[in-house]
Amino acid sequence: MDSERKRIITILVALCMGFVLLIGYLSYFQMFKAQAVRDNAYNKRLWINEDNILRGSIVDRGGEVLVYSESRDGETQRIYRYDNLYSHVIGYSLKDYGKSGLERRYNSYLVNANENTAINELINLINPSGVGNNLSLTLDHGLQKKTRELMNGKKGSAIAINPKTGEILSMVSLPDFRIETLSENWTSVSENPDSPLLNRGTQGLYTPGSIFKILTAVGVIQEGVPEAIYQCTGSTVIDGYTIRDFDESGHGPLNLEQAFAVSCNTYFADQAVALGHDNLLRIAETLLFNQKIGFDTETNASVFPRESIGLTDLGASGIGQGRVLTTPLNMLMVVSAVANDGYMSMPYLVETVQSPGGMTISSHRSESRKVLEIGESQALKRMMREVVESGTGTNAGINGVKVAGKTGTAENASGNNHAWFVGFAPLEDPKVAVIVLLEEEGASGGRAAAPIAREIINFALNNITN
Amino acid sequence: MKERLNSKAPRKLLFLFEILSLSLIFLFSWEGIQTETYAIAVGLVLLIYFSNYMLGRISKGDNYVFLIVCMLVSIGIIMIYRISPDLGLKQLMWLALGIAMFFAAYFAIRYISFWDRLTPLYLVVSYGLFALTLIMGTRTHGAINWISIGGVSVQPAEITKIVLVFLLAAFYGGDEKYRRIKNAEILLMLVIYSFIGLLFLQRDLGAALIFFGIFAGLQYIYTQDRRLIWANLGLAAIGGIAGYILFDHVKVRVTTWLDPWPYINDKGYQITQSLFAISEGGFFGTGLGRGNPAFIPLSYNDFIFSAISEEMGIFTGIGIIMLFMLLVYRGFKIALRQDNQFFRILALGISMVFGIQSFIIIGGVLKVIPLTGLTLPFVSYGGSSVVTSFIALGILQGTSEKRGKAGIGNG
Amino acid sequence: MFDLLSIVLKYVFVFIIYLFIFTIIRMIYLDIRSVDYGNLESGAYLKLLNRIDSLPYNLSDSYPVEGELTLGRQKENIIQIKDPYISKKHFRIIKDEEEFFLEDLGSSNGTYLNGERVLDVVRIGKGDIIKVGELEFIFIDGA
Repeated sequence: MDSERKRIITILVALCMGFVLLIGYLSYFQMFKAQAVRDNAYNKRLWINEDNILRGSIVDRGGEVLVYSESRDGETQRIYRYDNLYSHVIGYSLKDYGKSGLERRYNSYLVNANENTAINELINLINPSGVGNNLSLTLDHGLQKKTRELMNGKKGSAIAINPKTGEILSMVSLPDFRIETLSENWTSVSENPDSPLLNRGTQGLYTPGSIFKILTAVGVIQEGVPEAIYQCTGSTVIDGYTIRDFDESGHGPLNLEQAFAVSCNTYFADQAVALGHDNLLRIAETLLFNQKIGFDTETNASVFPRESIGLTDLGASGIGQGRVLTTPLNMLMVVSAVANDGYMSMPYLVETVQSPGGMTISSHRSESRKVLEIGESQALKRMMREVVESGTGTNAGINGVKVAGKTGTAENASGNNHAWFVGFAPLEDPKVAVIVLLEEEGASGGRAAAPIAREIINFALNNITN
Repeated sequence: MKERLNSKAPRKLLFLFEILSLSLIFLFSWEGIQTETYAIAVGLVLLIYFSNYMLGRISKGDNYVFLIVCMLVSIGIIMIYRISPDLGLKQLMWLALGIAMFFAAYFAIRYISFWDRLTPLYLVVSYGLFALTLIMGTRTHGAINWISIGGVSVQPAEITKIVLVFLLAAFYGGDEKYRRIKNAEILLMLVIYSFIGLLFLQRDLGAALIFFGIFAGLQYIYTQDRRLIWANLGLAAIGGIAGYILFDHVKVRVTTWLDPWPYINDKGYQITQSLFAISEGGFFGTGLGRGNPAFIPLSYNDFIFSAISEEMGIFTGIGIIMLFMLLVYRGFKIALRQDNQFFRILALGISMVFGIQSFIIIGGVLKVIPLTGLTLPFVSYGGSSVVTSFIALGILQGTSEKRGKAGIGNG
Repeated sequence: MFDLLSIVLKYVFVFIIYLFIFTIIRMIYLDIRSVDYGNLESGAYLKLLNRIDSLPYNLSDSYPVEGELTLGRQKENIIQIKDPYISKKHFRIIKDEEEFFLEDLGSSNGTYLNGERVLDVVRIGKGDIIKVGELEFIFIDGA
């Protein structure tokens, strides 16, 4: 009888614990997870709000209206004034296919769906505004147009940033798509093998090639051996596998600065092996590899292999080949930190959110972190200047402006090289940093990407004042 | 102080809740309302009020369980009416029938004394109902668990559930002659597994889980051979894994439980819509009539908890969970006070049905456990669910007052 | 208008539901406490068969019978019941040489022992049921 009683109580306690678990989970879900679930683009409730609310507009840094909504015959309509020019940054907002870009991330602001508190509810009841909040971007419409023109007909991405503040000045990814007609063409666009929906600048993962040598160079500087002379014979054998230089005749004796200027593969491959996997991984992870960069649109994490890799792979990693993959935004941030004396100012697109009445509801809080020692950034600056002055990146040079940069020509599975250029200017007081990626261009970074970067830098320096 | 604390206080609260929520609902669907609707609404309030009152006079047993259930029913019916007035009115009819059946079941337990001697009958009825489902069953929402009798759809597993409780109570607490059969407990296990297997075939995973839960719980308490408990749990684990490998419909449940978001447009649709609704409500909800519970598939049925959470907030959701917890607690208390072994097991079994079923479906819509289609007892829409739940409650009520009759002890 | 009402009422609903749960928990708590008290009894006592919470007046779950136990509407009674159906002095139970006797004190509506009206004094034993109006007691002699 007594053990029966005990067992009955055990079962009762078990059932009650089940209920307590449910109560606990429900509270946890509401406090920590509900917001993210609510903002899911597939949540039809977001659209209910929108049918009654005029979605806010989005303007560039000069106040140029890029997107706005208006009411026509009782129906709200979203007007994308420059359509595909901003297809990846602003993104789409479609009933049937969800949202992307800023339209997605800033949706609750744009439809003025404030948190569901008692006070907000009463305010909305008494004074139904029916108009969403507006976004003010860091982008410069002129530079965006210029960047798009320069990239026309290419596949790839170009991004410009103010390295001191992290303001994104222009961001283009190609191929792009027309937002106005996206609904009708959804199947053909979403299934296009060139993936036009992908924002290559923040989500595309590419073999970095020689621009990754910036990271290997950081390691060489940290080891204190930048002046050590290396004998380049045009190829080096690591663990039975030969890594060759672009120019197989050999560069002869080189130190770090000279090797960087001519982008000597054998030097950096051997240095990577000397540094070891742990060191290189640490440097890469300090410089945002293997993590999603917090940004106003979706990003993907760049990849530097975490598990220990063979020496051949390690040597290949040192020159940005092998299993290393990067997003253009990631390498831009590395160079941006070099330009800004070792401080990385995190990138952002939305400067302020303003109520329909013009009141600022939220403004960007800049975030900056130290990722390089001042000695490291200064040495890199000098070396990158050398690349443009007399090395592989002379095509990026501008009369009267000291441009610094690094070229990259990345071998990949397609057989056609990616062409890279990443750089900044002016050297003394950097105002803009730029990355250009031409996907499967089949030409060298110095020849194909550097001239585009030059034009972007030139335009930015001449037209963006503040 | 103590004077105030009679059952009138919660009864008044229940009354107040119904009046306020019904008025609000009428205001919400102002245009579509007909006069008979008012009559029926007044009917609801009076029905619940008077059946509480009557019960207090008739039964000297527990008078909490019915009160708790009345609150659950009221919340449910208001939500159903808000989602679909037609279904709300139908649910009212079911409720009236349910309460009638509650009293019928109560009197049957009170005045019929040979319930513990009907083991063979319970077996025959259970298998008969399964056979009926297999022959006449129609498929709804992936499960073949409905049969149609004269235009009325019935879910036989709902009835079998109660018969199972009687079977187990009769076996463990009734006539000893069945327990003396050689390997009786193993035979019983085989019978229960055959039930669960049949439910699997009907794709009624929720019911299969309940059957297993009740059996495992009662076996834990009453079996003489403790090794059987481990055998049972081991077999259940093997069965679960085998089910996962063999049946696609089981695999789908598990996949969408682990991560429904990649399948948001097809097999993960239900659960994600449920989560959208719950997350929309916040702590106090959007307010009745101000949310979009109709976006959730089966919002008035399996997913009523999500619909309630959206419009009445997760505080109301937590309230519902607490009401079920109280109901189960009272049921166990009734069992502990009952001196007659058969009726004690009956009370335990019924309480476990309520507890396990509500846990499975609430846990399912919250994505705490894999989702299996079940109604939330007393809250969800559905004739066979409401009526059988009230029959079960009537049985529980009946078992709560036996202690004067059989073997007087102190508590 | 509807919106405002709905927003206000949603707080009211949550409040009512929790108050409801709270009162039920309190009733159960009081119930358990009185039952536990009853369990401590070892001698003879009267146990109430009605649920105390179903009654409109203040009663305990059980009353010990020590010497004399009286029931009625007047204050002087050990069990006082403010019900017009109950007489001022309704019945009493007395203990005499280890035996217990129930005496109706001339009540107007009567006292019933196991369904039969008590006319004068009767001896009672373990398990007997005493009924007064809608109240039912069971007599338990734990000794």
